Amino acid sequence: MNAGEGYAKPLPSVTHEDRDFWAAAHQHRFVLPECRACGHVWFPPYASCPSCLSFDRAWTEASGRGTVWGFTIMRQPYIGSFEPELPYNVVLVELEEGPMVYSNLIGIDNADIACDLPVEAVFEDATDEITLIKFRPV
Amino acid sequence: MSDRDFAGQTAIVGIGSSDFARLYRTPDPERTGEALATEAVAAAIADAGLEKSQIDGLITGGLAHYEPVAYRTGLTDVRFVVDYPQAGRMCAMALMHAATAVHHGLADYVVLFNSVAFRAQGTKFGAQPQGLLYDTIYGMASPGAQYSMGFTRYQAEYGGTEEQLGAIPVAIRSHARMTPGAIMQQEMTIDDYLAARYIAEPLRLFDYCLVNDGAVAYVVTTAERARDLAHPPVLIAGTAGRANFREWYVDLGFWDEACRSMKADLFDPLGVTTDDIDCLQVYDNFSVSVLWGLEGFGFAPKGQGLEWVQNGRIALGGELPVNTSGGMLSESYLQGWNQHAEAVRQLRGQAGQRQIPDCDWSLYWCLSALPGASLLCRDGVL
Repeated sequence: MNAGEGYAKPLPSVTHEDRDFWAAAHQHRFVLPECRACGHVWFPPYASCPSCLSFDRAWTEASGRGTVWGFTIMRQPYIGSFEPELPYNVVLVELEEGPMVYSNLIGIDNADIACDLPVEAVFEDATDEITLIKFRPV
Repeated sequence: MSDRDFAGQTAIVGIGSSDFARLYRTPDPERTGEALATEAVAAAIADAGLEKSQIDGLITGGLAHYEPVAYRTGLTDVRFVVDYPQAGRMCAMALMHAATAVHHGLADYVVLFNSVAFRAQGTKFGAQPQGLLYDTIYGMASPGAQYSMGFTRYQAEYGGTEEQLGAIPVAIRSHARMTPGAIMQQEMTIDDYLAARYIAEPLRLFDYCLVNDGAVAYVVTTAERARDLAHPPVLIAGTAGRANFREWYVDLGFWDEACRSMKADLFDPLGVTTDDIDCLQVYDNFSVSVLWGLEGFGFAPKGQGLEWVQNGRIALGGELPVNTSGGMLSESYLQGWNQHAEAVRQLRGQAGQRQIPDCDWSLYWCLSALPGASLLCRDGVL
């Protein structure tokens, strides 16, 4: 998908806590917050470490690899801008680094999606500022 | 947490509910959340055989603030107030709070309620602004989609079919049909269940609870005072909670640890076992919540819950009736509060044609972002 006008679907409301995450995604890099005090890696990018509560946060490059924990095929038009894509998939991916992330799986028929499928991150430019991280089968 | 000293020292002595079906069929803009709460509170106080002036504790849920109902109910001598903004997953917590308050003399008679006006307010359970994990930007919407995702995982680990899952809503519907005031009165077969559309595949329409308006209230006091009141006391044997706060909603182990922990808190101090439980009145926001609780609390072997619920085992007349008034799937989405009202009716022996013979113990659980549970019993069995 090309960056451009008319992206109608919901976009993240970028805050001080996740600005660096989205800036990296826009450069097609997948980064995760990592605690300088205890080494914990977490998501979403809260300003503080949920393990030791330190605010000394660094960013680490994620491998982009993970596996599908679970999935669902959305059939109901809850979000108007997604309605043209029904039925579409949403997956919960367990990243190699530990954190869980929601996303969509691309490059696969919905009927072929399965738990434990190995996947890797791909970058989709949604707007001039926001790039979404999606996944495809490895 | 339960313990021998606290177990059975407090009781639910009054219950009051709005007429769920009537309001569902005929929406009435004048029956606001405040009006529904006021009706339920009045009914609960009357059911207990108390005077309003005796109420000296108030716990509110579902509304934005306690004040509108506090004024409308004209409570003028209140020593204890708690205000739960959204009491769905809080039902067991509210009961815990009420019981603790009367046990320690913070109040003598606590009235507590949950009041919801989802339809009147046009509440949508789909799109959250962003979700806790940016869910919405990927089209993830509604708690049901979360439970659906959990069910695909469950099936990958343990197998089982959608048709097997349908046994849960089908049994619960059969109970609603025996319950005056329950919203869903039409017969539902497994074929009807399977013919309904997917909402978030693999979950279908009837795996989802209702969305409706209504209120339920209880009066809680000490067991000692309860024995002088209108009905046989229904004792609070214990309440429990166990939260593992993670942003992805459905616990990765299907709340197995939470269930084990709450079961230990509730059962172990009393020597109660699953064999003692006569009915389950549980939080059936989605059919799979019932499945996972049955396994987590040890009623069904791990991974075999779908087989376990077949052939009428959880229907009235079966080994372990579940949600005997129709639960949230078919009676009313009062978020655990209608389940406790039904538990009280069963334990008093006032459940009419739904009455379970010799009903001594009823267990509640809510498997959500904040799991809770409660154990109620008839007076004299502890």
